[in-house]
Amino acid sequence: MGPQKKRGQAGNAVQYITRNQALKRLQLKLSEFRRLCILKGIHPREPKKKTQGQNKTYYHVKDINFLAHEPLLNKLRDEHVVERKIRKARAKKNRDLAERLAALRPKHRLDHLVKERYPSFVDALRDLDDPLTLVHLFATLPAEEAHKIPAKAVATSRRLALEWQAWVVRTSALRRTFVSVKGFYFQADVMGQPVTWLVPHATSQVLPMDVDYRVMLTFLEFHHTMLQFVNYKLYHALGVRYPPVVDPKLEEAAAGLSAIMQDLAKGAGARLEAAKEAGEAAAEVSPEVAQRMASLPAKLKELQGQEIKAAQGAQDMEEAAEAGSSDEDVGSISSGEDEDEDEEPGTARPDADEDMAEAAAEGRGAEAGALVAAEPDTEGAAAAGGAADVDADDDAGVCAALFRGLVFFLGREVPREALLLVIRSFGGTVGWQGEGSPIEESDESITHQVVDRPTQGHRFLSRQYVQPQWVLDSANFRVLADAELYAPGCAPPPHLSPFVDNDDEGYVPDYARTLHKLQEAAGAARRRAAGQQLASMFGEDAPEQDTTASVEDDVAEAERLYTAELQEELRLANAAADAANAEAADASVVEPAAASTKGVQKKGPTAEEVQEEEDRMAAAVLPRKKRNLYNSIQKRTAAKKARVQELEQKRARLGQE
Amino acid sequence: MKKRGLDSSDDEIDRAVLDLVQGGEGDGSEPAGQRPDRSDRTADAGTSQAAAADSDSSDDERPNRNTVGRVPLEWYRNEDHIGYDLDANKIMTKKKEDRLEALLARNDSGKALRTIYDEYNDEDIVLTRQELELVQRIREGKFPHVEVNPFEPEVDWFTRDKEIHSLSQAPEPKRRFMPSKWEEKKIVKLVRALRKGWIKTTAERMVSHEEPEAYLLWEDDGLISSKTSHGLSYLPATKTPLPGHAESYNPPKEYLPTEEEHKGWELADEEDRAGPLARAFPSLRQVPAYDRFINERFERCLDLYLCPRTRKKRIFVSDAKSLVPQLPKPRDLQPFPNSLAMRYLGHTAPVRSVAVDASGQWLVSGSDDGSVRLWEVATARCMRTWDLGARVHCVAWCPAAGLRIISAAVGKSVVLLPAGVGAKQEAASLQALQAPAKAAGGKGALCKWQPRADGEGLELMHQHPVKHVTWHARGEYFASVAPTGNTQAVLVHQLSKQTSQNPFRKNRGRVVRTAFHPSKPFFFVATQNHVRIYNLAKQALAKKLLAGSGVTCLAVHPSGDHVIIGGEDKRLAWFDLDLSTKPYRSLRYHSQALRGVAFHARHPLFASASDDGAVNVFHGMVYQDLLTNPLIVPVKILRGHEIVQHEGVLDCAFHPSQPWLFTAGADATLCLFTNQ
Repeated sequence: MGPQKKRGQAGNAVQYITRNQALKRLQLKLSEFRRLCILKGIHPREPKKKTQGQNKTYYHVKDINFLAHEPLLNKLRDEHVVERKIRKARAKKNRDLAERLAALRPKHRLDHLVKERYPSFVDALRDLDDPLTLVHLFATLPAEEAHKIPAKAVATSRRLALEWQAWVVRTSALRRTFVSVKGFYFQADVMGQPVTWLVPHATSQVLPMDVDYRVMLTFLEFHHTMLQFVNYKLYHALGVRYPPVVDPKLEEAAAGLSAIMQDLAKGAGARLEAAKEAGEAAAEVSPEVAQRMASLPAKLKELQGQEIKAAQGAQDMEEAAEAGSSDEDVGSISSGEDEDEDEEPGTARPDADEDMAEAAAEGRGAEAGALVAAEPDTEGAAAAGGAADVDADDDAGVCAALFRGLVFFLGREVPREALLLVIRSFGGTVGWQGEGSPIEESDESITHQVVDRPTQGHRFLSRQYVQPQWVLDSANFRVLADAELYAPGCAPPPHLSPFVDNDDEGYVPDYARTLHKLQEAAGAARRRAAGQQLASMFGEDAPEQDTTASVEDDVAEAERLYTAELQEELRLANAAADAANAEAADASVVEPAAASTKGVQKKGPTAEEVQEEEDRMAAAVLPRKKRNLYNSIQKRTAAKKARVQELEQKRARLGQE
Repeated sequence: MKKRGLDSSDDEIDRAVLDLVQGGEGDGSEPAGQRPDRSDRTADAGTSQAAAADSDSSDDERPNRNTVGRVPLEWYRNEDHIGYDLDANKIMTKKKEDRLEALLARNDSGKALRTIYDEYNDEDIVLTRQELELVQRIREGKFPHVEVNPFEPEVDWFTRDKEIHSLSQAPEPKRRFMPSKWEEKKIVKLVRALRKGWIKTTAERMVSHEEPEAYLLWEDDGLISSKTSHGLSYLPATKTPLPGHAESYNPPKEYLPTEEEHKGWELADEEDRAGPLARAFPSLRQVPAYDRFINERFERCLDLYLCPRTRKKRIFVSDAKSLVPQLPKPRDLQPFPNSLAMRYLGHTAPVRSVAVDASGQWLVSGSDDGSVRLWEVATARCMRTWDLGARVHCVAWCPAAGLRIISAAVGKSVVLLPAGVGAKQEAASLQALQAPAKAAGGKGALCKWQPRADGEGLELMHQHPVKHVTWHARGEYFASVAPTGNTQAVLVHQLSKQTSQNPFRKNRGRVVRTAFHPSKPFFFVATQNHVRIYNLAKQALAKKLLAGSGVTCLAVHPSGDHVIIGGEDKRLAWFDLDLSTKPYRSLRYHSQALRGVAFHARHPLFASASDDGAVNVFHGMVYQDLLTNPLIVPVKILRGHEIVQHEGVLDCAFHPSQPWLFTAGADATLCLFTNQ
């Protein structure tokens, strides 16, 4: 037996210290400590034994030591000292000294913290939800003096948000969108990681007084650094220069995303030159020069024309796979912009728009082909949209090509930025009412006009008029929904959350069923188109019947699935009714089996009931821990069931009314 | 000079004036015109003196004639002198003018209005014009002296202007005209440092600040570690839950709250609300800004850096049924009672106890209505009723083969009744229950054996209320329990000799139940928290079982190696006597206290009855092999009794040969459950 152990010498007592102890150890003020914790990502931990008291915050000693050795700590102290000197100089009206000190104010960088907190890129992606949401929030906030929100922070937020969105559009990474009461939810698939962010509605925010903006700004400081590096990495992986140069004209026209997209769209050849120029421009420092330089590659590209396109196609594998869907469109928009200035908007259409028109024609042609091939599946083919020939299992491919060949025009009452992001990410082309739009409202290539007003005065017969929700619903379900339902002026069908797992939720709204059916049809059409492609690839010898048969198979399968679902639903409803009956029977004294012996015709307990009772009895002999778990699960499932039942009852009542 | 009835401030000013005129030592000075009354004057003399003492008048211009100092002047009122002069001669009081003379004098002299009387020195003072003016100025709030001008132009005595001529006549030193050697050295040093790049100019330093904004931070991917760089586990913050249909701006109609839900939400506390209610907007353009957006982001920020993080072990169980142990199916464990076959009606109050005789033909029950009833099992016919006049707490059959004797615990006595069924047994029973030759036991005896007052049978009079009777397997001995009996709580009676004995000198705790071991000389005594097993042969404690709290019932397995105990803690505890003093299994499935437990004599069955109105039947297989643990499988929950005043099923007993179960309920009925 060793020496007697003393109390408080090992274990939780020394591994964890309270916040005040940490402050003393680090010799920091509380505000400084909090700031450092935010930047370093250090959070309190919950020790098993709270040796200093129950109502205290505990930090791990290693965390605090980690803070103590942070170089940033000394940097912040230096800053503090210089601030004090400046204040003193100002108070003594020593303006020279104050200015000199201010100019030499030490600056800190947070790069090392980003690397330290996220050792690998995937780690950073996993933690990207909060940064993106906060940055998108600050991009819409006013730079208010009262709350000390600096204008620079707002501008940086805006820039980073746009860069991120541009990347999403460029790679067609967007998967789901949802308009909630809170704002727009977007979910993108970044290197296999789902990244979700929330953008507030584009109305002015009221800044509440009970919020400590310093805390949020500290978070924002770190988020800026992090997002900047994430963006760099993403752009680097694409082989695009970072930071992108924003077209000042489009920026002024508040077409932020387009402004960045123009730079992103440039080919690889131009990119190299641009990088070189960027290096030179950096030496010269003047922003105007840099901007002029930035517009140079666009001109160069026009000159080089086809060459660049070829190079671009060779370098960018993804684009090759997706037949240059988004990139070409975006590129065309940039050239279109230039020509629009010179020529009259109505008469001369930029060559790029011809491309668009061609694409649209192709789309229509594909639909027509589908019509010829299989009469009953026209609905599916139409619903498949631009992604009719994409493998239905390839979600990324379907997303990138869903709106291919469709040209949208947004009314001025429509939330432009969100819709721009969605439509372009899903492969569509967009114009909008207002400055900087690549296409005019009268353009004949427009297939869909997105309006959000009670009545639409003048209508073009060649295009469909839809509410913005149509775009989002179509994108979420990867089909082109029935545009009639979304006509302006009429109440659109419910907007369903794409984040809900129907199996998990237990309740499926009616409209979700409709859309799922459409989805099945579109999937079948896609599969059929893929089959056709295969057939054409391997020659014409494959018999026509086979494809039609496969189509019929698909349709039959979809039908079968649907009927199976219906049956399941019916069965569940019956089971619920049975359960109610069984309860009533239980309440009566005589067991049903006993009653049957007396000759009364009564149904015996079903197998399910017997099983249920057996389970109930078996649960009685469970050990306590497992029984608690069992009971909680039962409770949860019961609550869920009750919720589903309530919804179904409500639906039935609404249906009657 | 002053009229009466002036306000106090004017009075004070007047007094000050007098002081001023007289000089600092104006003790007891009072203006004559102001105080024409002698009495008034004297009354106020003290206070005026105090005021005079407070005044800070400057040096005296008119020296006092009188030297009495600061004494009340009334001391001299009746004297012919007013005091003494500097030479210590009396100063005689002036002759008083009468009023007429005074008036005439005042009218005659032109200075009457300027004259004041000094009581201290006993003389009249005529104010000069300057003094009057002084008084007037003071009254007006001006400076007293005319010469003082408060707004005189400031004279700048110490001018800032630099003089051209130095004050000193010394010539300028040479160093003023020579460049400093030390400065030069310093400059040389600085220049060298600048040239060599040891120090940097401000501009250079500004340039060095500008580093690239962003660069490739993550070179290689795929390195995912669960540890942070300082060795603690990385606990990522939980993600915010994703929105459901209800959060949509245009949710399905069934997700919208009804009016009731809306009202309920509004009435609820802000903390209790589940979240914002679902709202629907007819179109996207009408959706307003979410007012709590910034607050929610802020709260999220706070959560990120203020909330302690722990890694909670979560068990993801997709199906609750997977937790349920894989037990044999009840249908494979038949026979067991599973349906209600018969009801025995007749009692009018809750039936406390039920017992079946060894042949399985007869059933006896004791009830709160004071009756013991004998039933034929097969027909549910009440064969006989004994009215014993008090609550019957327990009934039991004598298990002896040739006898049919019913024992019942009634009030303070145990009653032995001949059942009166079966001719052969009837005779033997009557024989056994012959009244003792001499009344056994005197006054100090434990209990008195005596014939029943009304009818055949015996009555064992105890000193305490008896609650329970239990028989030894051979039917020779039986034990009675009187929980309040303290040292006489447990008595063991011998039927053949008609004697009683108290086996325990002392009982630890309140004895609730007793039982005999079916084959060995062991005796189980259940107190509220323990079950003690005594070896009757050795007369020693063999084992003490920890039974939880509030034991209410006890049953011993036919093999004698296992005991089940039910308690008010809603638990049924199975003890394996070979293993431990703690339960082998403790089952909690009843929602109310247990009232009765029973083992089946032949089939591997046991049952528990509870106040929740249910009887749970278990398959309890005990293996001969000592290494295999008993198998306990719940097979059936039987419900046949109603709950009356929080009492459900009060007792249960198995049929000796058939897998049938009899239960006694608080609803005054008995039930028979059979295996169909």
